[in-house]
Amino acid sequence: MVEEFLSEAAIKKNRNKHRVKVHSLQLGLAVLLLGGWQILADHKILDPFFYGRPSGVMHQLGVWITNGTSIGSLWVNAWVTFYEATYGFLAGVILGIIFGVFLARNPTAAEIFAPYIKVSNSIPRVVLGSIFVLWLGLGSVSKVALAFVLVFFPVFFNAFQGTREADHKLIANARLLGASKRQITIKVIFPSALSWITASMHVSFGFALIGAIVGEFLGAQRGLGLLIATAQGNFNPNGVYAAMLIIAIMALSAEWLITKLENRLLNWRPTQISGTEL
Amino acid sequence: MNSGSPVSFDNVSKRFRTPKGTWYQALAGLEFEIKAGEFVSLVGPTGCGKSTALTLLAGLEQPSIGAVNVDGREVDKIETSTGFVFQHDATFPWMSVYNNIAAGPKFRGVKNYDQLVRTWISKVGLTGFESNYPHQLSGGMKKRVALAQALINEPSLLLMDEPFSALDVQTRSIMTDELVSIWETTGSTVVFVTHDLEEAIALSDRVLVLTAGPAKVKADFTINLPRPRKARDIRFTEEFLEIYQDIWSVLRDEVDIAYQRQLVAPGKGK
Ligand SMILES: Nc1ncnc2c1ncn2[C@@H]1O[C@H](COP(=O)(O)OP(=O)(O)OP(=O)(O)O)[C@@H](O)[C@H]1O
Ligand SMILES: [Mg+2]
Repeated sequence: MVEEFLSEAAIKKNRNKHRVKVHSLQLGLAVLLLGGWQILADHKILDPFFYGRPSGVMHQLGVWITNGTSIGSLWVNAWVTFYEATYGFLAGVILGIIFGVFLARNPTAAEIFAPYIKVSNSIPRVVLGSIFVLWLGLGSVSKVALAFVLVFFPVFFNAFQGTREADHKLIANARLLGASKRQITIKVIFPSALSWITASMHVSFGFALIGAIVGEFLGAQRGLGLLIATAQGNFNPNGVYAAMLIIAIMALSAEWLITKLENRLLNWRPTQISGTEL
Repeated sequence: MNSGSPVSFDNVSKRFRTPKGTWYQALAGLEFEIKAGEFVSLVGPTGCGKSTALTLLAGLEQPSIGAVNVDGREVDKIETSTGFVFQHDATFPWMSVYNNIAAGPKFRGVKNYDQLVRTWISKVGLTGFESNYPHQLSGGMKKRVALAQALINEPSLLLMDEPFSALDVQTRSIMTDELVSIWETTGSTVVFVTHDLEEAIALSDRVLVLTAGPAKVKADFTINLPRPRKARDIRFTEEFLEIYQDIWSVLRDEVDIAYQRQLVAPGKGK
């Protein structure tokens, strides 16, 4: 018996059908949650003074966009937080990879640094934020520094582990084919550690945002963290939610970009087995 | 065209730490010589130490006792004049077929390798698959990538660990003939590990039968069949069958020993 393959159009139709179903259920859930919240708040079951309400959040956003916030233009504040997080993220990723790969390739160096790394990793890093504000002032540098330390360690550990796990057989093969130590690091170790590294990058941008925002909480002149702190001070829950919404959009866009980058860098990997039953 | 390297094993023993902390002796006083440009096959029961002997020859491991010599020098590090086709897939998963085969020339700083790489791609029958990644190839195609990857560097010593085991019978005999003709033009020394006696006889100048682990040379057969040989044709000749019987009668005892051990201590050998 010869089974007909589904035509391209039929496959697309099936997939679209599935997508419409998922998206409409997602939307329904959102309407249910937000609508429920709105109704409960309108009937004072949830006190809107403490809990805010969706219409209030939208109104707050509208005011911020048209009139600016109490600490200046919304866009400027969002931009400040975004670049603090991004700088911290990039510095943490780059240095994390360099240190991770270097130490994994140099066991003696790894042995020497091990206790220092363990100690600095065991310090609750958010506490460092206060120190950075004292050292580096209220400007952006202290936030970048906090975002950096939050990103550095996960990337470092993953790069280290990824390098350690690199297949010895492949390294042996590369050496027999004539690769120098440097070529092995670049052409064999790095690519095989890359899936570990990109995995850590997914969580790391979130950490970078936390670093920037916590840093702004602790003392800043601008940024979404300060905006949240101000709203909290004014008993304005809608302001807190509105700022959170902007942060969420930022995190999702970054996640989207990182996924794109990952797919590009790791296009040699077999596509994941997919199917509803998995 | 390069000339092959002579090889010798001088009373070589090798032991490994097992996960339980005890020692496992893989080779015990292994001794043999291979002349420059000779094609020698190692046959022996599974787990007897054939792959171990090759890793010593490549300098990937050092012997516990004794010395392995290549080109009259003791092997104490990885030599890039040695080519190795590994038993298990060692192609780089992040490189396309083209880049996998070009890896050697690129690492060695060879200029203008493109023509060379394309020649090898067609020799191993992978034209049209240049941009595929290894996971997009069949098991046999991956083996052929590994073969071209090693051969493109014209090694003076070529180590092959069951290079054709993943191939279907037809491709296998084509590759066997191909390997013979390549070997005849390069003149490199080849140490070839296989479980396939027919393949060993068709390819080799000599076949060494190893004992069940720890491996020693049990018997050394010189194959005097005329060259050039076509593997497809000679396996039905009288002389071929005679040699086959001779080697098999020696090998069978060792295979039995290895098998009996597995029954007595299941799982202990691996
Ligand atoms: N790194 C290692 N650590 C511990 N034991 C090892 C190691 N490498 C090999 N051995 C042991 O040495 C013995 C010989 O292994 P080897 O791979 O050389 O066998 P082989 O002759 O190639 O077998 P096969 O034909 O199945 O490939 C095996 O019993 C194996 O368990
Ligand atoms: Mg083996």
